Amino acid sequence: MMTLARKPSSRATLLWENGELRARIMELEAALAAIRSGDVDALVVESAAGPQIFALQGLDAESCRFRGDMLAQVSDAVMAVDSETRVTYLNAAAERLYGVTASGVLGRMSSAIYERRWVNAEDEAAAMAALSEFGEWHGENVHVRRDGLVLNVESSITVLADSDGQPSGVLAVIRDVTERKRHEVLLLVSEIRYRRLFETAHDGVLILDPQSRKIIDANPFMTRMLGYLHSQLVGKELFEIGLFKDKAASQEMVNNLKRTNEVRYENLPLESQDGRHQEVEVIANLYDENGCPVIQCNVRDITERKRNEEHVKLLIGEVNHRAKNLLAVVQAIVHQTAKYGDSATFAARLADRIDGLAAGQDLLVRNHWLGVEVADLVEAQLAHFKDLLGRRVLIVGPSVRLTMAAAQGIGMALHELATNAGKYGALSNLEGRVHIAWQVSVAAKPVFSMSWLENGGPKVVVPTRKGFGQIVIGRIAEQAVDGCAEITFRESGFSWKLSAPAESALVSTEVGI
Amino acid sequence: MTATAHYVLRLYIAGSTPRGTRAISNVRKICDEYLEGLYELEVVDISQHPMLAMTEQIIATPTLIKTLPLPLRRVIGDMSRSDRFLLGLDLRDIAEKAPSAITR
Repeated sequence: MMTLARKPSSRATLLWENGELRARIMELEAALAAIRSGDVDALVVESAAGPQIFALQGLDAESCRFRGDMLAQVSDAVMAVDSETRVTYLNAAAERLYGVTASGVLGRMSSAIYERRWVNAEDEAAAMAALSEFGEWHGENVHVRRDGLVLNVESSITVLADSDGQPSGVLAVIRDVTERKRHEVLLLVSEIRYRRLFETAHDGVLILDPQSRKIIDANPFMTRMLGYLHSQLVGKELFEIGLFKDKAASQEMVNNLKRTNEVRYENLPLESQDGRHQEVEVIANLYDENGCPVIQCNVRDITERKRNEEHVKLLIGEVNHRAKNLLAVVQAIVHQTAKYGDSATFAARLADRIDGLAAGQDLLVRNHWLGVEVADLVEAQLAHFKDLLGRRVLIVGPSVRLTMAAAQGIGMALHELATNAGKYGALSNLEGRVHIAWQVSVAAKPVFSMSWLENGGPKVVVPTRKGFGQIVIGRIAEQAVDGCAEITFRESGFSWKLSAPAESALVSTEVGI
Repeated sequence: MTATAHYVLRLYIAGSTPRGTRAISNVRKICDEYLEGLYELEVVDISQHPMLAMTEQIIATPTLIKTLPLPLRRVIGDMSRSDRFLLGLDLRDIAEKAPSAITR
């Protein structure tokens, strides 16, 4: 062993070393005194296996240590504070929950770890009262960590007592329920959202138990549809509310549903409690609700839809019929124009007549095929004399509506009359006038009559042959109204009169005029 | 001596015992009163980590070690006497004014 020669120390160094030795001796004496007087709770003894710790407080210390070990292992956060709320114990779960280390926060006020907030203002007073009266409190509150993270926690607080039985602090077992609360909120939002859909749906919705086939819930629309109260629906089978004719049919539906998971019925007759008949469509599905099967039936009132479908079917038939009629009229026009006219002007005359027909057709379409006002028909057919209306073309007559056939026939006649007046008659010079009038006589069987009177035009020459125009204002107009036409070639002016039973010429609501 | 330096303290305890618990509370209370903002305290539980006791030659718990400022000092017990605790930290002038005991 080698001994090093020690460098001579200065007086100051010697004094300092002496002081250190004294201090060290005092520390050791203090340590021995503390051990003797029981101020320590454990001794550390060096051994070959490393330091060993010997507790000095017998069974109490052992049980304390055991409890400490247990608390260190639990997954809930455990924290103890003294009567001044200084942290005296913090397990590993609490360290993780609050993002702190026990060594850094032990002895600090609990507010150094988190800020406590109460969910309801009155909760704090209730908790304090419970701790004071029963020595414990269980409840939920909010802990805000020092880094700002907000934790929803469920706490169990127990008052700790010292050896004299005096309160010495509290022990808190804290469970983080933030995630659970978040799910609860999401669940609540979902419940509100889908409950609203159920409550406000404009389809009836029934929820059924597949085992008993009984209704377990119904939405308000369903109760309105059937006229039952919710309580009257719940517990009933479908056949009992008239959705299926009998128990067997109801049972068959459920059996089908169990096999296919979805069944659909169209045109089921449903009668409400007050006897109102409805056509309904039922779509039933078998769903799983958290392990329990349920049947959801969506019941839709299709009465209106069925009515619309019937209406559309009727309209298609009617359109077909009218198209055939129109084509027959066009065919006749083509035939007659070719038969009576000059072949050189055939195309122009045909186009002109079809234009007239189209003008009347437009009016019918605009009025949804529900008839045409006579005044509108006259104005439409005299569109090319528009600037003469009210001056040389005078129109007088009540507001009455022609039937579709009458409008077509009279429209064609007016077109021919206007064409002839413009070519040869009162509108072919600068002075001639046309008076167009119509009326409905007041009688037991009212008569609709209409007249076209020309004057002031060139001298009228009686035609030597009967052209198609004359057929249109004569026979075709008569057939259209089941009436009688009168054509007069006076020298002073041409005239045309048509009279017919009002019930043939006018739409039914006009006949009473 | 007045407390102006920065104090680095380490309190060694052995599990969650009443004496260890009291030592934690007392040390914090005294430090918050006399060394506010001037100290760092680390609590070391040697029941969980016995080897840590060797580093500072701990022979009993609770023991408080003053690492800084030098010289290193140690105080044993539950630190219920603030005057003795402050003396142990070389804060003689403060210790003379401090009450002889605090809560147990």
